Amino acid sequence: MGKLTIGSFPGLVGSLSLDFSVKLAEAAVRKGHSVDFWVSSNGTMLSKKGQRAFKDYPYLAKTIEELFKTGKFQACACEACAEARGYHKEDTMDGWIRKSMDWYLASCFSADRVLLIGGE
Amino acid sequence: MKLAVFKSDYKTGGDIVDRLSAEKLGIIFVGNGIYHASVKDGGAADPIFQKNANFYVLAEDLEIRGFNASQVPANVKVVTYDDVVDLMFNDYEKIVWV
Amino acid sequence: MIKKLAFIVRSLPYKNEATRLALTHAIASQTVEIYLEDGDNVEPFLALVGDGVLCGLKNQSNKCYGITTMEQHITNALLLDLNVYYCKEDLERFGISEDQLVMDAESLGGDMKASIVPFSEIQAAMEAADHLQIF
Repeated sequence: MGKLTIGSFPGLVGSLSLDFSVKLAEAAVRKGHSVDFWVSSNGTMLSKKGQRAFKDYPYLAKTIEELFKTGKFQACACEACAEARGYHKEDTMDGWIRKSMDWYLASCFSADRVLLIGGE
Repeated sequence: MKLAVFKSDYKTGGDIVDRLSAEKLGIIFVGNGIYHASVKDGGAADPIFQKNANFYVLAEDLEIRGFNASQVPANVKVVTYDDVVDLMFNDYEKIVWV
Repeated sequence: MIKKLAFIVRSLPYKNEATRLALTHAIASQTVEIYLEDGDNVEPFLALVGDGVLCGLKNQSNKCYGITTMEQHITNALLLDLNVYYCKEDLERFGISEDQLVMDAESLGGDMKASIVPFSEIQAAMEAADHLQIF
């Protein structure tokens, strides 16, 4: 089994690319791989606690919570990106790490595969 | 190199995809990229199929846009998220998103 | 062990954060060692291709928006000895000459020079990289 590092920048609402990256992480974990999940830019919104489900908006918080329970998934939000958007450590969902971009590069170092979904 | 390209958009990204070459190239249509495999703009096959590559399309992204597996060209394999993971780990070494 | 990471910049600057994040993530390699074992490191390189070559133009001004310009970020990358490549064919397509581009960080005391290379060399660098990222 391998390690997949995913970097994802698109926002939680307004693009389904972040949904793609979460569903890919889910599939990778289901198949026995471990996943490091890095969100930067508007993608950091995925780490914000208090997300609610609406029919017209993606609801990824539940999937992330389930992924954390597997022990094969860790997720980290870019601290500066989050702070720049006005949400802080106390606004972050349980289970998330908040670090600077070097965390992502270190994860790439030990990854078997890297997928970066840049800004759109 | 064995390179998989996630083509996530329809009208953009062709510039870089045109130039990428690899010993083994896979193009996986996801998101709005599935339109490459499901519509014929002007009645012609999409120029991306001139690439020497293996082509895949994500079933979920096809279906949400109103298409199904019977509507994609025979040289495009319809895949699930689990299949995509297997492609990434077993068939290709490097992955990019365009 | 050194892992090579390719940062391929193909987008125009400023409309969104993509190109900026390519630069800031690449530059973050300067502090990655705190997470790694002794002797391990990452070696990023930046390749500006397609519309991305326009990120490297000189004389970008931050007076209006007050944010770091791509020019400043590329200068910083060179100051930190990152390899920066511009695609020759794309520069020719836009009619951009070397003197219009950020080619070094001499003003800040850096020695590293950017290179203008054909896409075939960028392709070769991508093949030599462990992981690719397109912005």
